[in-house]
Parts: sequence; C-alpha cells; structure tokens
Amino acid sequence: MNRTSFLSLTLFLVLLLLWESVVRTTGVSALVIPAPSAVLSVLWDGLTVGFLWPHIWVTSVETLVGFALGCIIGFLAGVILGEIEFLRQLLWPYVLASQVVPKLALGPIFIVWFGFGMTSTIVITALICFFPLLENTMTGLQTITPDKRDLFRMLGASRWQTLLKLKIPSGLPVIMAGVRVAIVLALVGAVVGEFIGGSAGLGSSIITAQGMMDSTLMFALFIVITALGMLFYQLTILVEHQLLSGWMKGQNQ
Amino acid sequence: MAGHLQLQTGWRPMPTNSCFLDLSSTTFAYEGSFGDVVSNINWSVPEGGVHCLVGRSGCGKTTLLKLAAGLLQPTSGSVKMLGADVPKPSQHVGFVFQSPSLLEWQTILNNVLLPVSLHRPITLTDQTAAKELLQLVGLEEHTNRYPGQLSGGQQSRVALARALITEPDGLLMDEPFAALDAITREELQDDLLQLAALHHTTVLFVTHDIGEAVYLADKVAVMDAGHIVFATDVALSRPRNQTQRYSSEFNAACLELRKAMIPEMRGTA
Repeated sequence: MNRTSFLSLTLFLVLLLLWESVVRTTGVSALVIPAPSAVLSVLWDGLTVGFLWPHIWVTSVETLVGFALGCIIGFLAGVILGEIEFLRQLLWPYVLASQVVPKLALGPIFIVWFGFGMTSTIVITALICFFPLLENTMTGLQTITPDKRDLFRMLGASRWQTLLKLKIPSGLPVIMAGVRVAIVLALVGAVVGEFIGGSAGLGSSIITAQGMMDSTLMFALFIVITALGMLFYQLTILVEHQLLSGWMKGQNQ
Repeated sequence: MAGHLQLQTGWRPMPTNSCFLDLSSTTFAYEGSFGDVVSNINWSVPEGGVHCLVGRSGCGKTTLLKLAAGLLQPTSGSVKMLGADVPKPSQHVGFVFQSPSLLEWQTILNNVLLPVSLHRPITLTDQTAAKELLQLVGLEEHTNRYPGQLSGGQQSRVALARALITEPDGLLMDEPFAALDAITREELQDDLLQLAALHHTTVLFVTHDIGEAVYLADKVAVMDAGHIVFATDVALSRPRNQTQRYSSEFNAACLELRKAMIPEMRGTA
C-alpha cells in the first residue's frame, strides 16, 4: 500500500470515528442519522442471516442483463449508424430526441407495458446503457486517420474487413470509455427502476425501509449498492485492460 | 544503374513493356472546386527506376501520387501502370504514407503481415518472409512488440517492411521520412535504396527535401501549382553512399533544383 492510499484509508476511519462520536454525544435520532456502528451491525446481520442476498442477486441480475442488452444493441446500432451515412442523417434527430428524454420518466409506461418486476427494470437499465454505447461507437468508428483509410484501400480490403480490422479496433478505446460510463449508469438505472416498479432488489428494499422508517437499514443498503457499483466498475476496467492490452503496451513506454 | 539490372523476382504482367508508370496529360480537380490540383502531367517511370517529385506544400505532389496509386481517378488524361489503366488501387504497388500508419493494437510482426492477412491465412513461409524483412531493416528484436513501444524511425521502418511484404513491383512513397531526425532519415534512405535494388522495385518518391530527392533519385521532377515545371536527371553513381552528399555534383544538383522551386529564379535554372 503506498502512502497516499494509506492516508486515504486513515481519513476514512477518522471521518467514521467523528461521525460515531457526534451521533453518540448529541443523541441525534437514529431516524435522522444512524451511528456507523448500528449501520454496520445491520449490514452484518443482513449478510450473515442472509435477508440481503436475494435482493443483491435481483439487483445484480437486473444491472448486468440490462447492461449487456443495452451495450450490445447500442454497439450494433452505433456500427450501423456509423457506417451508413444516409441512416445517420435520417435517424440522428430521433436519436438525439430520445437521448434527451429522461429515461427514468419512462418508468411508469414500462410498468404498463411489461408489468411490475424485473422486466421493466431491465428495460429501463438497457435503455440507459444504450446511448453511451451508441454515441461512443459512432464516434469511435470515425477516429481513423485518412492515411489508415487509404492504406486499407491500397491493400484491397473489403468494407467488412475495414470495419472489423480497422475501424472497430481503432475505436475500441472510445467504445470502452462508453462501456465504463454505461456500467455506472446501469446500477443507477436498476436501483431507481426498482423505486418505480420493483418488488424485490436493493432499490425496492430502500423504499420498504423508508416505509418502515428504518434509516439504519437504508444506510446499510447504500453501502451494499456502493460496493456493488465499485465491483462492477473494477470488473469493467479489468475487461478493458484485457481488450486494450496492445494499446496499453504502447502507451506505457 | 538499377534500371539496367535483369529482373530476378516478381511477377510482371507485361514483361515487354519497360515503362512501369505512365502519366499522360493527367489532370485532376476535386469535384466542385475551382481549378486543377494536378494539371496536364506527362511523366513516365521506367521499371526499376527511382524517381522523386519535389515541391512545396500544396503543390499537388501527394495528389499525383494518389492518382498513380489508383486512390484517385484523373478527371482527364490517363494513368497507366504496366500498360493498363488503374481504376482501383493496384496490388502491384505498395504505398508508404507520411505517417507510419501502423495498427497500434497489433504486434510489429502482424503489422508487417497485414497486407497478406487481408487476403489469405498467414503461412509459416509468410512469417519467415516478414521476419527476414524486419531483419533487413534492423528490427528483428522487435517482432513481438507493439508500435507504441517503438521510436518514430523504427515505426517508419516497419511501414517500409509492410509495403514490401507482398514483393510489389513498385513503391509509392509520400514523404515517409519527413518527420524523422536528419541522421535517422539518412539511414532510412540507404535502407530504402538497398531494399529497392534487391527486388528491382520501381520507386516514385514524393518529398519537399531537395537533398533527399537528389540522394535517392535517378530523375527528379519539380512540381509547382499542379504542374511539373522542371525535371533533371541525377548523374551520381550507384550504389549511393553518404560521402556523395558532400560532393560538388550533389550540391550542384541541389542548387539547380532549389532555383527551379522558386518561381522568380526558374529562368536561371
């Protein structure tokens, strides 16, 4: 552990202690701000007794399935719009308009269409992930230099080869930046989607905890969601490093 | 002279024709723009010849090279390679761009093999050929590294090896060494001349560097505003060596071209 991350951890522990002592000395109600010790104890119970696990599972499935669907469809749509100038010009105003619509505001209509539960949340999550991938794939495919485009023409490469062997690999860093944005948005989408129409999951549990005025449980859920988000983000970084290993080797020198 | 060497390797579709590239009244204008970028060019490069085009930025020399490559089509006149029109980029020539244009995500070996891998699966023979080429340009240690790990000069050498992997009859080069330091550039010029002589490769080389043109070429043409305004044969003996750069013939040739590149002085050239 280097010096900065040690200091960072120390700062965290100091803040935690400060929070604990303020709650204990002022006697502020647990409904307003629960003590960290109480939050950790609820969290521990939730994980050992196991009532949190089904909710973690549901939210994880919604996040990952929505993320995968959104990324795949966004990527494919990005490739199609990036490659076919006519379609790009035809559809761009619609793409822009639908990007501006707050996706979560569509939640209620999705509940009408897909019912309460996982399907609606997955659709919302997928829709949120769709746009960063669409936009970054389209941009990524345009990043090739004129020299490289001419090189592939000189070598007699087909359009398909140019796409697969030049444009997509060239754009991969930009596309992966879109994936990183998408994974963070996916978890937000799943949690907030559950606020609107979920019957299980971490977002739905926050609403339940609110109904029971159990702030301590809500804080415990925040911690779980944060940990889950960081885990997903780190996994994405890992995949990105794998995919861009050639690029990375170039940059590190 | 390289031009009088017997053919040793390489397929020639029209062996009776000693002219590799023939531009006749070649004119090109971009659609919707005023004036020609390249205007009424008559120029031919014999098989095995090394010709240079010099000119200031924007004089149309890159456009001329792209016309020769088949990347652009003339608006009038003709471009013939080995006696045939060039309606699309020909597989008989390699093109070396101003930037090395390597694929950053591929190893050096795979970059060199790219022209082959686009058309058929790579064989062991291809790999050996690529490694031999990399050895010729002094990069045998770097076959499994990535472009980002190489210096600019090394990247240019990879680009040269990539252009030569298919053993093309001709090389079209667009200021490929312009971004390199003087010493590296001189080394690469020697590499190019050796590699071109090895397979009797025809070279059309575009540059803005007068010294480079004189050192490389049998014949140099000066372009200005889309026209060839001056042409001269270079009488230096081959193989070229670095000491020739300081000879009086070399300097006289450079001065002659320098005068030709400046419109006001052209009459005195």
